[in-house]
Amino acid sequence: MPLIDPSVVDLSRLQFALTALYHFLFVPLTLGMTFLLAAMETVYVITGKQIYKDMTQFWGKLFAINFAIGVATGLTMEFEFGTNWSMYSHFVGDVFGTPLAIEGLMAFFMESTFIGLMFFGWDRLSRPGHLAVTYLTALGSNLSALWILVANGFMQNPQGASFNPDTMRMEFNSFLKLVFSEDAQAKFVHTSIAGFVTGALFVMGISAFYILRKQHRELAARSFRMAALFGIISSLAVVTLGDALGRLDYLVQPTKIAAIEGLWQDSAANGSAASAPWLLFALPDQAKQTNYAEIGVPYVLDPLIAHSFNTNIPGLISLEQQAGPRIAKGIVALNALQAYGKDHDAAALATFKANESDMGYGFLAQRYAPNQDLNLITPANQGAIIAQAEKDTIPNVPVTFWSFRIMMALGFFFVGLFAFAAFYSLKNQLERHPLLLKLCVWSIPLPILACEFGWITAEAGRQPWSVYGYLPTFQAASSHGLGYMVFSLIGFALLYSAFIAAELYLMFKFARLGPQPHHAAAPEATPAPMFATPAE
Amino acid sequence: MGKLFTFVGLGVVLALALLLAVVAGDYGPWYFAWIVGTVMIVLIAGCGAVMYDAQHENGTGEI
Repeated sequence: MPLIDPSVVDLSRLQFALTALYHFLFVPLTLGMTFLLAAMETVYVITGKQIYKDMTQFWGKLFAINFAIGVATGLTMEFEFGTNWSMYSHFVGDVFGTPLAIEGLMAFFMESTFIGLMFFGWDRLSRPGHLAVTYLTALGSNLSALWILVANGFMQNPQGASFNPDTMRMEFNSFLKLVFSEDAQAKFVHTSIAGFVTGALFVMGISAFYILRKQHRELAARSFRMAALFGIISSLAVVTLGDALGRLDYLVQPTKIAAIEGLWQDSAANGSAASAPWLLFALPDQAKQTNYAEIGVPYVLDPLIAHSFNTNIPGLISLEQQAGPRIAKGIVALNALQAYGKDHDAAALATFKANESDMGYGFLAQRYAPNQDLNLITPANQGAIIAQAEKDTIPNVPVTFWSFRIMMALGFFFVGLFAFAAFYSLKNQLERHPLLLKLCVWSIPLPILACEFGWITAEAGRQPWSVYGYLPTFQAASSHGLGYMVFSLIGFALLYSAFIAAELYLMFKFARLGPQPHHAAAPEATPAPMFATPAE
Repeated sequence: MGKLFTFVGLGVVLALALLLAVVAGDYGPWYFAWIVGTVMIVLIAGCGAVMYDAQHENGTGEI
């Protein structure tokens, strides 16, 4: 199979990164806001106080703007798998297509139906009925995310499928293994809760803006209190889940975790794994396989990554060397697979099966083989080819290292910010701390930034694989022309930038406008609380 | 009769919750943690609002 033009692969990657990162500007807010709206409406239904209905409706309006534009930006990505990643779609479509299809059904049927009921059902549904709809909207939006993250979990740690040499693609063998894979689980919870943090800081920041300007105080103070409490627990949970994901990466994607930590040498290289430092700062040099200007905290790396004090964590140089024998076996596997494809020779199949687990590593050698043909690799040139292919098994270290650190620093910043915000809100001393309120306002975009850097860490760290250990990214793309890719990339960038501009304009407009009375013409009578105290 | 139906309904919900806890706890511990955690986060946020109302019934009006 001829290789695709590397420029087309790079442009395909850039286009997917662009559309995914644009789309994910909207997703976290949707994930978090829905449950915050559910919390506000729960208080309304239980206490019967109109202010909580006003809060739900006001924040719901901002949520609706974000949701509408978020859905529009997500649509293209589903098609992009087919248009730009056709080899990928052929290779794992049987597995990947299933969660993607379920996600489509969840997003377009469950989520959209309940969102419609949520916005237009205030006067048509009973209070508990409407509350149930709001909870189902929240559940629906998070379940949509679940299926995407199940699909992504498969790319990070393929579970529930095996390669079929007759159809030349991966096929399902366990739906449960796919859904309950540890990567899918931890990734879903980490991402969903990161959305909770985003929603909480969004509500807290805008509420802080009102409190500073002494506008809508009743609504702002209650919203701030709820968001601060919602946020403090969520931010602590995000950090916990981040640790779980790191531990999982250490077990299944050692190259990613070593790149995240800028770990070139094994952690025990200086004699003791326990004393290996965790790097606060470093300037990784990929070409020279070293770091400059390292600032580290000793005795932290091992317990942080391996949850142990005496486990050697392999460094990137060791991992690169370990890939060599796997590449050699992968070449044997792919040559046997090719022989089996011609005449269904049983011996070729047996050879393939014996080396199947390293099949993906064989693909890495293809780009360095004479005429990109693995059959032309001989004992004479194999060493040099493997040495080149080994280098490709290591992800981009500076990008992975720094995107992780920015995400993590922001994560800890949120814990501190929510802690102070919750503390002063509970003491009713917010107005005495205008600096804290201003910090809340300016921090509104930071959780979205943290989510973006989280995705960059996850996806850049998975390279060179599109499906870890099975399919390299350069093999997964479609064979488009350069002109098509450049044209579509510019088109998406312009279109999505217009979406962002529309979102920002509407958000600023309606946030500045503040809550408006929904039934100004005929004020609604204050309803009785659902669990009213009996009259004495 | 209404109360009986309420108790039966809540009993069914309890049984389903226990079943979910057992299954999810075994096969999907993080999913289970998400369900429990999300409910807790929502309830604590709600409690914060109720506490705010209680604090301000006789408070100074400072927020």
